[in-house]
Amino acid sequence: MRPDATRIAKALEAAAIRSAAVEEVDKLGVVCRVDAAELPGALAALKSCDHDFSFLADLFAIDTGEAVDVVYHLRSFARDEEMHVRMTLPYGGDLASVWELYPAALMAEREAAEMFGLTLSGHPNPKRLLTTDQVPPLLLKSVAIRGAEEVRNR
Amino acid sequence: MSDPRETVTHAGWLTPNPPTAQHPDAPLSLKRAPSGVDELVTEHLVLNMGPQHPSTHGVLRVLLELDGEEVVAGETVIGYLHRGIEKLAESRRYNAVGTLMDRGDYISGIMNELAFALATEKLLEVEVPRRAQWLRTLFSELNRLASHLVWYGTFGLDAGAMGQFLFAIRDRENLLDILEDVSGQRMMFNYVRPGGVVNDITTTAEAKIRKFLETFDMYLEEHDQLLGGNEIFQKRVKGVGVVDRATAIAFGMTGANLRASGVSFDVRRDRPYDAYPELDFDVPIAEAGDCWARYVVRMEEMRQSVRMVRQLMDGMPEGEHTAKVAKVLRPPAGETYAAVESPRGELGVYLVSDGSDTPYRMRYRPPALYALQLGEAILPGTLIADTVMILGSFDLVLGEIDR
Repeated sequence: MRPDATRIAKALEAAAIRSAAVEEVDKLGVVCRVDAAELPGALAALKSCDHDFSFLADLFAIDTGEAVDVVYHLRSFARDEEMHVRMTLPYGGDLASVWELYPAALMAEREAAEMFGLTLSGHPNPKRLLTTDQVPPLLLKSVAIRGAEEVRNR
Repeated sequence: MSDPRETVTHAGWLTPNPPTAQHPDAPLSLKRAPSGVDELVTEHLVLNMGPQHPSTHGVLRVLLELDGEEVVAGETVIGYLHRGIEKLAESRRYNAVGTLMDRGDYISGIMNELAFALATEKLLEVEVPRRAQWLRTLFSELNRLASHLVWYGTFGLDAGAMGQFLFAIRDRENLLDILEDVSGQRMMFNYVRPGGVVNDITTTAEAKIRKFLETFDMYLEEHDQLLGGNEIFQKRVKGVGVVDRATAIAFGMTGANLRASGVSFDVRRDRPYDAYPELDFDVPIAEAGDCWARYVVRMEEMRQSVRMVRQLMDGMPEGEHTAKVAKVLRPPAGETYAAVESPRGELGVYLVSDGSDTPYRMRYRPPALYALQLGEAILPGTLIADTVMILGSFDLVLGEIDR
């Protein structure tokens, strides 16, 4: 279930991913933080290493209040392990597509980009997924929805 | 002859070099004339299937570029049912998010609520009473049967069969009756809450489940015979929409769709939650990866669900139906992920708490979205009629895809 964090760190070190910081997070599992520039390399290394993280279970973003964190949820069927890879992008930053590595990212990347106001690069179809033009990036904390306070205090 | 002009025809009639299809000025009708297969000039046609097409199972639009009956390229357009469940969850207290989750995948509400409840409990570190766990599992499995029956009925409709839909809905009605008995609602249950379930099982519901179990085994075999035993149906699904193991993994498929491609992964067995570790059940898999394999796996899953419901009814432990939790939940700051096996696959909730009474971020992993993007990728080269079968075989629910 949980991979060995030190082995993951070693595998990333062998692939010359300098910014990788692997830690075990309580209630979640192994989380690897990398710089945005090194993310595609880190995913490629995790996919090709002997842990064989060939399954992208999910891709989504979180507005941390200072920046946008993009989370990649990886799974290995060969060893039955899972981990999360996480990178930070500035607001309005550029999300580099990893669809060639994980075709599963195709729609999830479009959703993350439209919901968090990111631009998509290297994507074959970088259109909006769920909303139409002129809809603001809904999942940013700065975008308020009508009646939220009213519902909360009910 | 005093007047040399033509009387019936016109000048140029039967000229030595009549315009041919190859002539640049030839009219379009001549270009399309079937004077020989090699000379037939065709154009691609863009067809908008949906958003109100009966076989799109919701509000899905598929843009198909067609060459005759063959699909050259397909693109799915979604978002018609987008209600912003993830955003709305950020302004609702933990106990109120269940009502939103119900409206995600509206065919299997119990499992949607359960995914969120499990994630909240993980953050709260609440011990859920054993009886509550068993009740959740019992109603999850009954809900799975109801959901698979809807899929079974509509999948047949996609193939042009009608009778099985009526029989499936008859059985589903009994299941919804049971769920209504305990939750008060037929589809938007709001039954599973963080800490347990809202009501204990009633004696009438117990009697209804027993009565349902008496006949359902027989009905299930009847269903399988009615559709699966039909040769016309078999010819429509066998060898259609083949997804090999590597493609299924690459595109993030989960659930019965993944198991039909030969990957044995079931959240109930491999990431067990609630009462599943105590139950005896098989995880059916198939190797072929075509629409028929997905049909066979889902029908077998229904048999396993009935098996589990029997065990759950016989072994139901005594005790409380909910843990003692605060009225306003404030999980400590942290992040967690919890997943359940919904009828459509791995339904996950990634929950971020900042210690307040509302979730900071709630990510709803929609299994059908990942199935849909694979469906989009395998459309080229298929026929329009097969497109309907392929999308139907993935058991898409647009409420969950759009959220």
